[in-house]
Amino acid sequence: MNTPSTLLQVRNLRVDVGERNVLKSVSLDVAPGALVVLMGANGSGKSTLGLALAGHPSYRVVSGQAQFDGQDLLAMNAQERARAGLFLSFQVPPDIPGVKNNLFIRSALNAVREARGQVPLDAFDFLASARTAAQQLGLPEAMLGRPVNEGFSGGERKRNELLQLALLQPRLALLDEIDSGMDVDGVRAVVQLVQNLRAQGTAFVVVSHYLQLIESLEPDTVLRLDQGCIAESGDLELARRIARTGYAHAAEAVGA
Amino acid sequence: MDTARADALAARDHLHQQGWIAPRNESFRHLPPPGMESWLQVPADGTVPGCDAPPLAGAGWTLHPVGNAPQGSVQARWLDAQDPAQRDELFAGLPLPGDGDAAPFAWAHRALCRQGLRLRVQATPGKTGPDQSTVWLQLRHQPRAEAEAPLLVLEVDDGVRCVLIETHEREAAQCGRGVAQNLHAHIRLGTGATLQHLRIAVPGAQDRMAHHVHARLAPHARYEQALIATGSIYHLQRTTLDLQGHHAEAHTAGLLLAAGSALEQQVHTVHHAGYTTSQVETLALASGNARVVANAHTRIAQGADEATVRQRLTGIPLAGQPRLVLRPHLEILHDKVQATHGATWGALPEDALFYARQRGLDDASARALIVQGMAQALLARCIDHPELLATWQDSGWLAGTIARHLATSQEVHHG
Repeated sequence: MNTPSTLLQVRNLRVDVGERNVLKSVSLDVAPGALVVLMGANGSGKSTLGLALAGHPSYRVVSGQAQFDGQDLLAMNAQERARAGLFLSFQVPPDIPGVKNNLFIRSALNAVREARGQVPLDAFDFLASARTAAQQLGLPEAMLGRPVNEGFSGGERKRNELLQLALLQPRLALLDEIDSGMDVDGVRAVVQLVQNLRAQGTAFVVVSHYLQLIESLEPDTVLRLDQGCIAESGDLELARRIARTGYAHAAEAVGA
Repeated sequence: MDTARADALAARDHLHQQGWIAPRNESFRHLPPPGMESWLQVPADGTVPGCDAPPLAGAGWTLHPVGNAPQGSVQARWLDAQDPAQRDELFAGLPLPGDGDAAPFAWAHRALCRQGLRLRVQATPGKTGPDQSTVWLQLRHQPRAEAEAPLLVLEVDDGVRCVLIETHEREAAQCGRGVAQNLHAHIRLGTGATLQHLRIAVPGAQDRMAHHVHARLAPHARYEQALIATGSIYHLQRTTLDLQGHHAEAHTAGLLLAAGSALEQQVHTVHHAGYTTSQVETLALASGNARVVANAHTRIAQGADEATVRQRLTGIPLAGQPRLVLRPHLEILHDKVQATHGATWGALPEDALFYARQRGLDDASARALIVQGMAQALLARCIDHPELLATWQDSGWLAGTIARHLATSQEVHHG
């Protein structure tokens, strides 16, 4: 049974992609305002977990349960999950040619606001908030008027994800390698934004390989995913050990 | 008998002797047009049966200002093709229909044409070269008869820049009956002239519509045509681009929307001169049992040194089982040229759809946003005028049209 202290509860999640089984059995709990770091070698299933929880149609949940704030997450479609407050930052955010960034984000924000019973933001109010957030994240204001992610560098795409995170203010954010492609200032902006949102109760599941970021984020829990299962659970010390020894040695240590 | 009537009757005789477009005609075989009589429905007494529409000013064409943009020096003449002198003036300098694939449409037009509009856009007095301000025009056309053959002749003088927004939208409140409209537009661009031409053709569901645009470009002239067209029981949009002068450039973009209806676009381009450039791009979105055909036929004539050609046709079935035919075709008669062409059938990008839904947009809104974006990107690649596109986009027309199309697609799909 879900408890009020758990925002996301995942039990024995098994996920197939096409004919291939990627996640064998994953269980985890995330409390409001908590930060869980998910580590694992390439192909261990980190991105699959995020996409399956977000409701991507190509990621088929074969068995297991996922509750989000006491509701059956798996019974919701992708937009219902987003409106309930689940946000996924994409590892490679796609282009949407011809759709201006500010129109896209405002449409998304108003869809979420409507679901929350809030009045939609008009273009003027939205732009004021978006400009402020973009400035704080180091995203040039001109990016707001350009088509979504089209021609953006890797770092700009990630900053654009952060902009959406800042404006949508979800209850749970899954950040899939948000630091890849980011410069030092970008990583600093990630840490600052995460701290601000955590203070307001947003929970995070952060996929990252880099200890410096992980340490800055001050996680409550660090999980190591291996071959579709949670192989280890610990605190920052686990992340430090993985950074020292690598994933191969980490797996051997558990096997021993 | 007066010469105007004699000319119309001669065209009718010629048409009857030559016959209508054969069902297996290569240019029309995927969507054969309705028979000859559909385009010539005139009672024996010569009067044209009116539809329920109230009479409009002029010849069905009405000219409107666009915002505060300068109107420049525009000469507009509405001419009566039944008056011998005015008919001479209306058809002055236009080629005879000839014997090409689409010639029967042109003969039928000559036979039925009652009125036309001649426009000449001249340089602003006292200004030359880059100091010339762009002339903005908006032309609207409403059908006035069950069978009609409107004519437009537009001449843009040397060095003049012009923006033309041409709309053909049926207002259901004015007339609910289907019409057969065989429209011909002749565009002449002088040396260094530029025309940015936004064409919107939204017929009624029961309309038979055939629009023929013939553009002739002098040296260094540039023509950009963005077409947005929706289907009906028969809808043809045929553009002929004649690049006669060296360094002339023509770009066309067609956004074709058909839900359970028929729509064909044909773009025929001929590069007569060296250093000419043409680009044809079409995005066809179809649903239900729609039949959509997109043709791009480009011919590079001998001697057209360094001609550059690009054709890109894209078809996306949205729902149901539409028939989407994409036909890129190149005919190259000269060695030193660059040409690329391609046709792509596919679905809306799944990654972008999921991205939008993950941000909270429902499926219909996500699809509408993405289709609208694809359309805007298509138009922006053709029309090099951000202000025009932004102004038009802000009006919400494109978004509304796409939303209606997608809603119809859903109805067709569920029905």
